[in-house]
Amino acid sequence: MKGIKRRDFIKLGLTSGALMALGSSSELLTKTHGKRDTQKKVLILGLDGMDPHLLEVWMKQGKLPAFQQLWRQGDFCRLGTSIPPQSPVAWSNFVTGMNPGGHAIFDFLHRDPETYFPKFSGAETLDTKSSIRIGNLVLPLLGEEVRLTRKGRAFWQTLEDYDIPATVFKMPGNYPPASTKQRTLSGMGTPDLIGNQNTFNYYTTEFTEIKQDIGGGAIHEVYIAENKVETSLPGPVNPFKKDRTESSIDFTVFIDPVNPVAKIAIQGNEFILKEGEWSPWIRLHFRMIPTQSINGICMFYLKQVRPEFKLYVSSINIDPATAALPISTPKSYAEELEKKFGPFFTKGLPADTKALDNNVLDDAEFLQQDDFILQERLAMFEYELQRFDSGLLFYYVSSTDQRQHMFWRHIDKYSPLYDPKQAAKYGRTIENIYVEMDRMLARSMEKIDKDTVLIVMSDHGFSPFRRSFNPNSWLKEYGYHKLINEWRQGREDLFMNTDWSKTKAYSYGLNGLYINQKGRESEGIVNPGAEKEALVREIAHKLESFRDPQTGERPVLRAFVAKDVYQGSYVDEAPDIIIGYNQGYRVSWSAPLGRVPKEILEDNTEKWSGDHCMAPEIIPGILLVNREIKAESPALYDLTPTILQVFGIEKPKEMIGKPIF
Amino acid sequence: MGKAKIKLTKDLMEKVKKYAEMAGYSSAEEFITHCLEKEIAKLEESDSEEEIKKKLKGLGYIS
Repeated sequence: MKGIKRRDFIKLGLTSGALMALGSSSELLTKTHGKRDTQKKVLILGLDGMDPHLLEVWMKQGKLPAFQQLWRQGDFCRLGTSIPPQSPVAWSNFVTGMNPGGHAIFDFLHRDPETYFPKFSGAETLDTKSSIRIGNLVLPLLGEEVRLTRKGRAFWQTLEDYDIPATVFKMPGNYPPASTKQRTLSGMGTPDLIGNQNTFNYYTTEFTEIKQDIGGGAIHEVYIAENKVETSLPGPVNPFKKDRTESSIDFTVFIDPVNPVAKIAIQGNEFILKEGEWSPWIRLHFRMIPTQSINGICMFYLKQVRPEFKLYVSSINIDPATAALPISTPKSYAEELEKKFGPFFTKGLPADTKALDNNVLDDAEFLQQDDFILQERLAMFEYELQRFDSGLLFYYVSSTDQRQHMFWRHIDKYSPLYDPKQAAKYGRTIENIYVEMDRMLARSMEKIDKDTVLIVMSDHGFSPFRRSFNPNSWLKEYGYHKLINEWRQGREDLFMNTDWSKTKAYSYGLNGLYINQKGRESEGIVNPGAEKEALVREIAHKLESFRDPQTGERPVLRAFVAKDVYQGSYVDEAPDIIIGYNQGYRVSWSAPLGRVPKEILEDNTEKWSGDHCMAPEIIPGILLVNREIKAESPALYDLTPTILQVFGIEKPKEMIGKPIF
Repeated sequence: MGKAKIKLTKDLMEKVKKYAEMAGYSSAEEFITHCLEKEIAKLEESDSEEEIKKKLKGLGYIS
């Protein structure tokens, strides 16, 4: 960060999508070729968040015949997850055969000890090296680079060393995709065109819905004049303009004066939507300078015409036909899929959980959107399955995870949001997605031959999320965290009210707790060595001893000390303590971004009612294989050397896992 | 360190003294300096903070 102000650095990071576009000429990497045919093959279905308890119950009830058959033919067991059990961490264990000490992904969010600001763990944007200025225009001479921060080699890179082909579809945390000639499509962590994890836009005349401070989207107040709504859709920041203004596209909605129908006109596209209808993908071109535009795709949903007008626009996904950011290897893979299937969801986690949580979409509307995602995934799976005749195919599904997050309240009678009427209507949503996955598995089993090792796995299971814990409030209560002004407690994110000169510890991210260490944090006060060691043990012990006065339970089941549980070259970068929550508990909504609310514990009243950011023993994943599993307690990082073993490749020395056969 | 005098109304000064003591500041001067520093920092950094939050809050796990 030398020579560049913090705010400029952050802004550069936000515009990465735009800058990459400058380099996105027609250059194409060559397609994968020259790979040898392998008699042995590995097919892996990665079903995010599939829970072993639910799976077993529904298998035993005969609702999942393909899973049951695979269990009979091979084996089924719990799969040890990561510490902490967050998807980017867990899948990185699987990708590298290491734990976070080796691959350096510790949480969804990391922190910069210099600034005490949070950042996404998966990717970082490097500054463009040079530019020229013409008037108000800034023209970068070299494209900005987005770099994967995960350390270690991905297993498909090792397979490539041995000329074994692999297709890896939407591996979480693999954004930007690790350098390879194998076919890979980036997964969770891939931003929308704005550079965010989610940015819906919602246009309404309803006053009560306007000006809410919401994350993940924007609510726009609109007016109807002469049966028309004239408004605009915000786009990415224009990196070519010195003042980095936000680009936008104007559009008009023509409302039928009688029927619940509207016509939307945007950039030459005109389409009619009935109330309750979704548009197909609409392609948008955000013009930056006369010769450069950045392309995105989005869907419109006409929620209501009268009495109040309500129009939802999905996050603008990166257009896979002309990707402004690196979303596949080779670059032509995303283009190939687009040619075959048309525009598709490229954002890492495409289902709009934020819109559901903020009542912009309701349960049924959210499921409609997630069904689009699921059907798209299943169609692409069929395509990949049909041409899978050598090497490895990994195929990922996100709907299992997202639906459990959002619909757990309908199967949990103790959820603060449980409503019997809604439960009667949506109580089988989670079961239904398991049944869909059973069909997908059945297709896989029909296709594979006896030489194919079939692995069905999840990165973690699921648990109810009823009560939330504010670690920063707890730290304050126990004297480890000091505020500048008591009366401002709970009002600010990013620790803006923290007195670092008197603060010993703070929590960022979903499970991480850091010591304010002298020489590491810019305003650290705790000496490394014995003083820090004693403090870490003391806080860990007190966390585990703390009880929820309302329930009598311990919110923190395990407080892991990083150096006790991690191995590898990056242990020093880990949070000092990793909080493993008890069943029913999770970190609060605001603490991950550095807020210190007044209450240590609160009920979770969000629709996001199932979770997995808990102690790993509470929420193991699933493992089904069409072979006997010999390992007693297999874990995610054991599957990596297992894959290599199938192809006769010796385990690299940095991998900590052991083959399961 | 250079010094400059700033005029405050009597009422405001009374409140400053009262709240400086309540909040644990060693003097009214320390309280005023702290307030000004924080407000200036907010003005200097507000864009960055908002942009960081906007970027991260899209993640379903946080709000």
